[in-house]
Amino acid sequence: MPILSLITFLPLAGSLAILFIPKEKAGAVRATAIAATGAAFLLSLLALAQFEPGGPQLDAVRMQFVERYSWIPTFDIHYYLGVDGLSLPLIVLTTLLSLLAAVYSMNITVRVKEFYFWFLALEVGMIGVFAALDFFLFYMFWELTLVPMYFLIGVWGGPKKEFAAIKFFLFTLFGSVFMLLGILALYFSSNPHTFDMLELMKASSGWSKDFQVLVFLAFYLGFAVKVPAFPFHTWLPLAHVEAPTGVSVILAGVLLKMGVYGLMRVCYQILPAGFDWFLPWLVVIAFINIVYGALCAMAQTDMKKMVAYSSVNHMGYCLLGLAAVSATGFNGAVLQMINHGLITGALFLLVGVIYDRAHTRDISAFGGLAAKLPVYAALMSLTCFASLGLPGLAGFISEFLCFLGAFHAWKLYTTLSVIGILVTAAFFLRMLQKVFLGPLNAKWADLPDMDGRELISVAPLAALTVLFGVWPKLLLDVMNPTVTYISKMFPDMFQAVRHL
Amino acid sequence: MENLQLLYPEIVLSVLALLILLADVWLGGRRGRSLYGLAMVCAAVTMGFVGLCCSVPGTYQGVGTLWTVDPMSLFFKVLVLATAILVLALTLDYKNPRDAHQGSFSALVLFSVVGMMLLVSATDFLLIFLALELVSISSFILVGFERGDLKSSEGAVKYFLIGAFSSAIMLYGISLFYGATGTTSLLALRAPAGPDAAMFTLGCLMTLAGFGFKVSMAPFHFWVPDAYEGAPTPVTTFLSIAPKISALAVMLRVFTSLIPREAFEFTGLFTVLAILTMCIGNLTALFQTNVKRLLAYSSIAQAGYMLIGFVTGDAFGREGILLYSLAYLVMNLGAFTVAILVGNEGSYELEAFDGLASRNFGLALLMTFCLLSLAGIPPLAGFIGKFYLFAAAVKGGFYTLAIFGLLNSVVSVYYYTKIAYHMFFRPARTPEPVAVPVLYSGLTLTLVSIFIFLIGVYPEPFLGMAKLSAEMLPKAAPAALLGGGR
Repeated sequence: MPILSLITFLPLAGSLAILFIPKEKAGAVRATAIAATGAAFLLSLLALAQFEPGGPQLDAVRMQFVERYSWIPTFDIHYYLGVDGLSLPLIVLTTLLSLLAAVYSMNITVRVKEFYFWFLALEVGMIGVFAALDFFLFYMFWELTLVPMYFLIGVWGGPKKEFAAIKFFLFTLFGSVFMLLGILALYFSSNPHTFDMLELMKASSGWSKDFQVLVFLAFYLGFAVKVPAFPFHTWLPLAHVEAPTGVSVILAGVLLKMGVYGLMRVCYQILPAGFDWFLPWLVVIAFINIVYGALCAMAQTDMKKMVAYSSVNHMGYCLLGLAAVSATGFNGAVLQMINHGLITGALFLLVGVIYDRAHTRDISAFGGLAAKLPVYAALMSLTCFASLGLPGLAGFISEFLCFLGAFHAWKLYTTLSVIGILVTAAFFLRMLQKVFLGPLNAKWADLPDMDGRELISVAPLAALTVLFGVWPKLLLDVMNPTVTYISKMFPDMFQAVRHL
Repeated sequence: MENLQLLYPEIVLSVLALLILLADVWLGGRRGRSLYGLAMVCAAVTMGFVGLCCSVPGTYQGVGTLWTVDPMSLFFKVLVLATAILVLALTLDYKNPRDAHQGSFSALVLFSVVGMMLLVSATDFLLIFLALELVSISSFILVGFERGDLKSSEGAVKYFLIGAFSSAIMLYGISLFYGATGTTSLLALRAPAGPDAAMFTLGCLMTLAGFGFKVSMAPFHFWVPDAYEGAPTPVTTFLSIAPKISALAVMLRVFTSLIPREAFEFTGLFTVLAILTMCIGNLTALFQTNVKRLLAYSSIAQAGYMLIGFVTGDAFGREGILLYSLAYLVMNLGAFTVAILVGNEGSYELEAFDGLASRNFGLALLMTFCLLSLAGIPPLAGFIGKFYLFAAAVKGGFYTLAIFGLLNSVVSVYYYTKIAYHMFFRPARTPEPVAVPVLYSGLTLTLVSIFIFLIGVYPEPFLGMAKLSAEMLPKAAPAALLGGGR
């Protein structure tokens, strides 16, 4: 069974089916969308169950569920899908968040048909990016996420939606055209010319350092915009805040991961010399992301904007883990991607819940909600604690691994980055205090607690946060063999971080 | 006369066009709409002849005295004929097909097609000039066809003045060329040496100006926005596609095959022209509020992308141009078709597109796909074309050019999505759906969307076709001949 193709293109089938449903039948549209995302999720779970992580002594990149067909022979382009322990968890995360966001987005009442059409098209692109092993295909999927996101933000977003949508589009496209240039450069310097990512990994030893550095920079531009790494992060707060809740979840939960995934899969595995050269900068950027992101979040009065900036901070941990170039750091980075997807996804949903009721996200507009909305308060506190890295919840494990990995190589920056954790704790606790504690603001005396739809979309994320917090082995077992192998791919390189 | 068979398609089309002009006498007036249909049939018949030329290469392909019939010229002839057929179909759905002169309109379209077919086959500056004039003069009249409309007349006059000016420059260039080489023929050309070489180079440059005018290459693009805005929209559609790609084809033949590279080194020149054309087209398009003007500037920028293929000058770049021409035909035609349907309600301003998505979602979606394809977003036809051209640039080591091209694509997204913004983000002013006549516009749009996705998702057959069609006759001159004059 071509399981990866099915996972990738089931949402496409859904979106095409939606085109043929009359727009008055919003219920049928929603049902189709949830069925399509649900089926994709179930299939991805099946793939996860059949996946063989391999032992600790993995000695080659072992892609599974591989599908490889000749597509454009003129350029030796293949339809080439496959997953390893790095990409499969991300695919499962994508399908899960898509399903939950689709459920949550049932509260969208205008132009439902168009919403789910773009939403499902977006899911195709996201899954495809993680599954593609041919650069041409990878680029196609990468770009496929742009247009749907543009419409999702621009039509259903907040007050500044048009500006946010076009800024997102232009920023990302600006980055990705350089990526295309990099892809072409790799193609023409490989012999025989190929877009096969695994072949290019083998070819990397034959390229000069200067060439690798240049191509690395081209790719880095593409990925850094997505991550978003300082100073390319300015699209993020705007897009996240203006996007409708379900779409913010996807933006924060999945789209940012595409950047980190790209850094690991392409920048590190294909252009190690470039990555090596960039390491000192990468760790500085990680540090800036962590501290600057946290400080910006601290300064916000809008809950959604605060969560958005906290994503900049959390992605900084991923970059820090990457800069370690060790099994620990890489495991931390990948785990952080998954955990951030779960936690921030839940946070955006919860902010959406309160905004739907109160039509404001101003932190100081609330007060004493804990007594009024006990379920909401419990879930919000749980996710905030997870996000600020409380031991026992998912966020702690991955942040700890990132710091542990990086400390060995970059003592100064890792130590300084701890400031970020402190500030994160400060702004989340301040938010919890202002919103839930103190005297009840009489204005919100009759706010209803969360309803079924909202619980269905948030509860799984909260449950997973606790599960992975107490038993991270579940996830680590899937990714560890691959990630460890990846970290040891280039034993002769990265001397700067290995022998201190 | 022994290779007259090479000219069959052109002869057939000329005769048929004259017959249509004659038929106007009987079929004119109220029943005149049938003349458009008749003209479509004529173009289709000619296409059949072109198909014959493709399938029997031994008899119908070869080098004549003034012209050559080779896979490349046949490729462009098919494209031009297809454009003509589709544009005539669109004319039938255009809001005010006038109740008179349908015969002249259709005949003029066909005449200009004859001109383009001769143009893409020409191997002699004399024929090139005559063909260009045939195209130009027919187009001048077509642009001014809405006599009551001041803008139409203004566009026609500007187009005519700049056209006449560039023809004069070109003619002067040809005379210099003649002075340097003693012939107007480009076959078996010997590069002159000594003082003649300078004259030769100057001649080539001046003829380039003539082509540049047709291709709307900067800095010869000033007529484009006014002529495109004023012309009846089907004519705009026609002008933005057919003359542009056929002039590109003849440039391709003249500057990458017939004139030896040693005699006229143009890499630097074309790099500058390509960058200039892309930047001017894109940056000016940013500020347009009228869809026809916006698409006019976009078509200038598109010409700039295609010029990238000239810089590399090799087979790879040539195939890129061919492929891009095909993609450009499809996507530009699609965009203009939607523009015509919306414009039929009276306005081509961006505001006319407000809320098109809620009035007719399919139409808005299709327009979006055409625009995104023009911007080069995968998985659409335009991406494959750009991919090919940029790949050619990277392969040849022209990284600056590739970077400029890519950055321009980013800029272009801004104004293409401006139309999408009006269609999707703004509320509609009237809830009534836009009328889409099924027969012609509907069919055209279906065809266009199929091709946009087909080229984008499964480009292999089209790549193969471009590869086959990139072959030119006569084959590149032997090396001994190139150095002959020195």
